[in-house]
Amino acid sequence: MKTAEAIEHGTGTTAGGVAEEPLLRTEGLRLHYRAERGVVRAVDGIDLSIGRGEAVVVLGESGCGKSSLTKALLRMLPRNVATYSGSVWFEGRNIMSLDDETFRREVRWVGISMVMQAAMNALNPVVRVGEQVAEPLRVHRGWSNARALERAAEMFDLVGLPSDFLSRYPFELSGGMRQRAVLAMALVAEPKLVILDEPTSALDVLTQANIMNVLKGIKARLGTSFLLITHDVATSSEIANRVALMYAGQFVEIASAARFFSAPSHPYSRLLMASVPRLHDPRPPIHIPGQPPNLLDLPVGCRFASRCPSRLAACGDPPPVRRDAAGNVSRCWLEDGGGGSVARDPR
Amino acid sequence: MSKEVGAVVSRVGWLRSAQRIAAFAAVRIAGLFVTVAIAVYLTIVIANMGGKVDELRIVQIQSTIAEAARANPAFASMPSDEKLKLIESQVQNEIVRLRLDQPFAERSVDYLWQALRLNLGRAEQMHSDSGSREVASIIAERLPATLLLFGTAQLLVFFSSIWIALHLSRRYGSWLDRIVIALAPSSAAPGWFYGIFLILAFSFLTPILPPGGMVAAPPPEDPVEYALSVAGHMVLPVAAMFLSSIFISIYSWRTFFLIHASEDYVEMAKAKGLSSSQIEMRYILRPTLPPIVTSFAFMLIGLWGGAIILEQVFNWPGLGSLAFRAIGFRDTPVIIATVVIFAYLLAVTVLLLDLVYAVLDPRVKLGGGRS
Repeated sequence: MKTAEAIEHGTGTTAGGVAEEPLLRTEGLRLHYRAERGVVRAVDGIDLSIGRGEAVVVLGESGCGKSSLTKALLRMLPRNVATYSGSVWFEGRNIMSLDDETFRREVRWVGISMVMQAAMNALNPVVRVGEQVAEPLRVHRGWSNARALERAAEMFDLVGLPSDFLSRYPFELSGGMRQRAVLAMALVAEPKLVILDEPTSALDVLTQANIMNVLKGIKARLGTSFLLITHDVATSSEIANRVALMYAGQFVEIASAARFFSAPSHPYSRLLMASVPRLHDPRPPIHIPGQPPNLLDLPVGCRFASRCPSRLAACGDPPPVRRDAAGNVSRCWLEDGGGGSVARDPR
Repeated sequence: MSKEVGAVVSRVGWLRSAQRIAAFAAVRIAGLFVTVAIAVYLTIVIANMGGKVDELRIVQIQSTIAEAARANPAFASMPSDEKLKLIESQVQNEIVRLRLDQPFAERSVDYLWQALRLNLGRAEQMHSDSGSREVASIIAERLPATLLLFGTAQLLVFFSSIWIALHLSRRYGSWLDRIVIALAPSSAAPGWFYGIFLILAFSFLTPILPPGGMVAAPPPEDPVEYALSVAGHMVLPVAAMFLSSIFISIYSWRTFFLIHASEDYVEMAKAKGLSSSQIEMRYILRPTLPPIVTSFAFMLIGLWGGAIILEQVFNWPGLGSLAFRAIGFRDTPVIIATVVIFAYLLAVTVLLLDLVYAVLDPRVKLGGGRS
């Protein structure tokens, strides 16, 4: 099983030099918005692949385009789109070329489902939770109400909710229960990929841990691929096979979780890892000075250059995208990411 | 588990809903009845000027009887003190018959009781078209005309504006959307105002529709022809009411739908792969129905208030023009009766609204308890 091996090694796309077709692969995905003062380049050339059964974490600060990436993948476009281009290969076909109706029928929920950032309000307040969880099966598969509800009950069991909660209304559920219900809804049509957009950011720490455990269990049992979008480094480390770090609409580093969390190569990754407080480390966490660039007015060269401690003269030009043998990607002029001088030793 | 899960879930849910709604209805009916009683009692006190009308009535009785006695040749030869005694006794009889000898406070409670039982008494001056003095039959003759005209206009406005608003909220910024926004201030003028122009245009300048009334005179014998005649007479008043409220309704509901179309659960529904019409029906219209129904009720109440003038303009034999004439004649029983009918209609509307809320929105509950 080459695929399984690839996942073991955390590369997802290549194993022993043999190219495996990943579940999802984007090429130059762009989503720009029109604003009053120009064009917001929220998603600006994203190349990402997600293997079958793999969990990829997209890390990034607020406003770096993480949520726009989910919008671009599911074609959930607002009114003011300026550019929406690139290709997204999902299960071997370019879903960017599908018409809206085909996309709705064949990709949304049955192929790629999602758990929204504001999952607390993701449930219709006047419809029973069970009906909402069962709805995708009735819409996409034409199942009867009873059969779909039965399936919804199984999903509730999977996420750890009692099945009599199916007849409750959303307001009768706590925040954590609602999040579980939304997760059950995302899994009910057996999608190949679930996008989780900050699934735990509105929850308390205990509930966060619970939800992450549920996710880990599901990943092990169903083999579903996850794209977890978050700014929470600690939470993401629990489930990630690979990590993609996003900055100003682009990925600056994509690496296996083991590599990213222990020896990240991009200067931004190093600073980010050094900014995470750790229990058994007496040194205080580092603060990254400066602000991310305005997405309306991006610099020509490296977008992180103004905040980068290892800045070079070359950084005024767009940095090259380096890819090593294991498939780790770094967008930086520095051969090795500038040595270990920036970050404290993570071990 | 399997098969039964769905059935049990829906049965438990149904029972809970039924209990919830029954408890809700009982408390609301009691509350509304008290409200109606207070409103009717206030009307009784005001229409009788707190009892002052009794004095006027006694004077009126005295002069009427004295006038009749003077005009009666049988009394001409009678000695004047005997005649005065006879008049006095007749006046006393009339006062006792009308119970004007009892204190007003006592009678007002009795009036209230009779009014609430819809025992509306007899009119003082007015009578129905069939000649009856019973206030109940005078009103029964008028009520269907009002319900027919205003019901038709309201339903038309309600459904067409909801439908057009949903449509426009998805075509936000289109030329049709702009036109509706531009026309919204046209609703500042009331229906009767448009009515005057419509009558001028379609009854006099191009006489294709009748200027007023409810049916042609003489009324057609054939029921189909009769219905067609009524429909023809309804066109202008319905058009007047429609014109005066359609654009503002579309405008406000379109804005309302725009706001609610950006709710997270609508976005979620789109991600779930639901079609546009499924999203509109289940995720935009369904959760927003309570406020929509509320503004529908406000519109109903507003149109009832405007009915007096509109019915006068179109000479429509409804409750509005009845109330207008009753005020002119100072016919207290008819005035009170129209208020009683209005109060009951409003109370029933409000009650139905509350019940509809309880059905539409599971969060509406009494006492905050979890059933």
